Amino acid sequence: MTDVVTADAAEAESATGDDERLSFQGVFQKLFIRPEIGAVLGATAIWTFFWAVSIPFGTAGGASNILDVSATLGIMAVAVAMLMIGGEFDLSSGAATGALGIVTLLLVRDVTGTAGGLGLHLLIALPLSFIVALALGWLNGTMVERTGLPSFIVTLATFFVLRGMKLGFAKLIVDQIQVGKMDDLKGENKGYEFFQKVFAYEWQRNDHQWALRDALYTGLVIVGLSLVVIAVYELHFKRKAQHNPIGMIMFVAGAALGVASVAILHLTDDTAGNWFGAIVGLAAMLIGFLGLGVWRYEMRGDRGTLKMPSDAVRSVGIGIVLIVLGVISAIVLDSDSNEQVLPLTTEQGLRAILFVGLSALGFVSLMVGVHQAGRVSRMSASAFTVGTAVIGLLMAFFVQSESESEKFRNEAFSIILVVSALALTWAIANYFFQNRGSSDIHIEHLGTRIAIAGLLIFLIGMLIRLLFTVDAEIEAGIAPAKYSVRILWFVAFTIACSWVLASTKFGSWVFAVGGNKQASRQVGVPAARTKTQLFMLVSVAAWLVGTLLAFRINTLQANTGNGLEFEYIIAAVVGGTMLTGGYGSTIGASIGAVIMAMSVLGIPNSNWNSDWRFVFLGAILLLAVIGNNFIKTKAENLR
Amino acid sequence: MKKMRWLAMLLAIVMVAAACGSDDDTGTADGGTDESTDEGTDEGTDEGTDEGTDEGTDEGTDEGTDEVDVAQGGDLTFHMITHSDDGPFWTVVQNGAEAAAEAMGVNLVWLASNNMPDVQAQLIDQAISEGSDGIASSLPSPDQLIPGLKAAADGGIPVYTLNSGVNDYESIGATTHVGQTEFIAGQGAGKRFNDLGATSILCGRQEESNVALEERCDGLADTFEGDVLSEFMGLDQDAAAQEANINATLAANPDIDGFMGAGPVIGLSGLRASEALGRDLTIAAFDITPEIIDAIDAGTIQFTVDQQQYLQGYLPIVLMFLEATNKNTAGGGLPILTGPGFVDSNNVSAVASLVEQSTR
Repeated sequence: MTDVVTADAAEAESATGDDERLSFQGVFQKLFIRPEIGAVLGATAIWTFFWAVSIPFGTAGGASNILDVSATLGIMAVAVAMLMIGGEFDLSSGAATGALGIVTLLLVRDVTGTAGGLGLHLLIALPLSFIVALALGWLNGTMVERTGLPSFIVTLATFFVLRGMKLGFAKLIVDQIQVGKMDDLKGENKGYEFFQKVFAYEWQRNDHQWALRDALYTGLVIVGLSLVVIAVYELHFKRKAQHNPIGMIMFVAGAALGVASVAILHLTDDTAGNWFGAIVGLAAMLIGFLGLGVWRYEMRGDRGTLKMPSDAVRSVGIGIVLIVLGVISAIVLDSDSNEQVLPLTTEQGLRAILFVGLSALGFVSLMVGVHQAGRVSRMSASAFTVGTAVIGLLMAFFVQSESESEKFRNEAFSIILVVSALALTWAIANYFFQNRGSSDIHIEHLGTRIAIAGLLIFLIGMLIRLLFTVDAEIEAGIAPAKYSVRILWFVAFTIACSWVLASTKFGSWVFAVGGNKQASRQVGVPAARTKTQLFMLVSVAAWLVGTLLAFRINTLQANTGNGLEFEYIIAAVVGGTMLTGGYGSTIGASIGAVIMAMSVLGIPNSNWNSDWRFVFLGAILLLAVIGNNFIKTKAENLR
Repeated sequence: MKKMRWLAMLLAIVMVAAACGSDDDTGTADGGTDESTDEGTDEGTDEGTDEGTDEGTDEGTDEGTDEVDVAQGGDLTFHMITHSDDGPFWTVVQNGAEAAAEAMGVNLVWLASNNMPDVQAQLIDQAISEGSDGIASSLPSPDQLIPGLKAAADGGIPVYTLNSGVNDYESIGATTHVGQTEFIAGQGAGKRFNDLGATSILCGRQEESNVALEERCDGLADTFEGDVLSEFMGLDQDAAAQEANINATLAANPDIDGFMGAGPVIGLSGLRASEALGRDLTIAAFDITPEIIDAIDAGTIQFTVDQQQYLQGYLPIVLMFLEATNKNTAGGGLPILTGPGFVDSNNVSAVASLVEQSTR
């Protein structure tokens, strides 16, 4: 959903002629031509998968762990994605993280004692190592540009040089293969206390209790999601000239019913209460969103007739069979058994995998059916969507009644219920109201702004949930979770790079030199300079990561970061950046880093044998690339 | 019983070595004359004419006065050929070998291949062609190194293996192997964990397919009375991810109350993960680094397994010396173990000062 926000960037980057730029694109079409859409879907799928099969994965502790690994990987992945969009690689980026961290450590280490070091104040040492980083990037860029050789070879050479220099200098200066220790500076009046906060401050969740947390979190998440849905309605449907006040009353009534439904669900935890709350919630959605439609949008004229195309019927049939198989496996297999059935998993794990996997595949098939029906007529599309939504509602209650675990009974139940209800109202709204057929800058701006506001409110809600705890959790003995300021650096760096890429001249140059260097040079883009600056950006990112690591683990091994450059490239590719240059996304790369972190940590979290982790990583990489490619070609065919 | 025998043997060797050291007074005298020749040549280059006469007289007196000494000391040249990367670990081995060579009064040629089997094979051939009086070699990659070492042994050169090679030293005709077997080191750690009262241990490995690390964890599982979960927890190159991996595994296994790192870096990652989770674990590691020493000193890590690699440098020189001069063959066909030694709160301060000197 982030993609709505920067959708105009995609338009600018992929448009080649005026005609195409002016032609109308629906809200979903715009969404699906974004390079990071595959990463967003993949991240959701992997999160759901591990959330279902492992206990600690979905907890605050699990989230902090994933974000922590994502942070350093993500900063590099974002920078590397920029460089790859610019058409180059930097194989020295991994080794550079360790090298620049070691440079900083050597600058601040005290000379007194047996080992060497310059003993500088951090205020001097950090800018100095930053200059070293700039020089390293400049060197890489200049060598690539001057020699005209592929950056793959040139930076491979830099990689080896850095690798050797790390070991050589570490041993020459401190006579060890590791350089430490940052926290020796504690109390030495060299700025450690200040910079430790800047680079390694940690927020201890268990020290921050807030009784209002759950109320705020639930409220903000629901308001945020509703705003996003309203934005989608606004962008999708055609406005009418005259507003209808009855619709507005319906909308307000729906909102009130929504509040009531949340209150009921919040206050009760028995089956009857849940049923009642869910039905009130469904009614709230139907009344509210249909009210919104009556209030603001034009009625549809021709709705077509109900037809049953054979391909759609077949897809729906396959979908229903898969879901039934998933349900059967959930009923047959024992949810308490820890018996090892396959090398990877226990019986209860297998049950979760089969149920979640089969029903997810089933719903994908159902959605394919809806899509196929949509080609025939509006009537058919709505009918098929209603059917799918009803199956979803049934599934929600099946999950609620069958599941042993708390998280399935509450969280999964609510999510499936909400998504199905949204699909149901969407089907009905689409049946009644006319969709937009021409672009209108005002509507798009308004819709985009509502979507941004909704997303921000949603994220603030989630943040409150992650950052604060309540007495009940402490009493239950919840494991402590800590959030490091590294995550903030990651987010800030991603936002900064995305802004540069989407809204500055430099950003356009990056796409230009990566797409076709010769052509871009001919239209006046300073290609060599742009590429050199990109190399410098990567080494600045490496400096940041090296500094973060130095403050985090205090002692850096000489081999720190060696070989990680491929993880950065993989994260960028999983995030939708193309290896050939000229196409990609920094937001995608940051999500790609989160996907990598989830895949690596989900395995120990699920208690799987770690020998298999690279099989899993390989499968994810392959699926991500195939998925990205598929979505990209589909979306481009739609134009 | 077996243990006692080893101990006795080690003691005997050390005593013999000590005896040789004291016997070597004449040897040092010999070293002295060597030095004077060196000085002589140094001066000689300056003065030009003195060179020849100086050397001539020195050699003359050597041969004339004590023949036995020459056979024992200065003329023996031993080669120690390892896959050393010149890291802190191998520096200690080298220091041990150099100290032994000085004590025995023999010449030592230290050759390091920096983990390159081909280079190491070449260095072995080179030592043979130089007419070595004894070759001590590590054996990290048997396929490349066995032919050369076998040729040396067949040619009558005393061959010893050190550090790695416990499975192959017999087949190449080496007298014995000086090193630590990882399995026995793991077994020793397992007993320690029993004493410390742990019930369930995560044995974290820092490489995904390294036999030595697997054996450490297997040995641990062999003697430890509770459960051992042995898993790959991420590379040392990415210590932050390693910590997150351990964190994730600990979170998924609330009953784990001990962590064994199969190396020093991963041991510290385990310590940070346990602190982040607020879990009170019994933590141990392999090998010695300054950080591990600090952590043991602070009581956050309980102990580390030390393979006492100084002995792996020292003992082969002593053994080769005895084989060359006295035709002794130690070991009785079995390897000589240098570990596991343990560093814990009882001996950490003593060991710390030895680490500074690079002998531990």
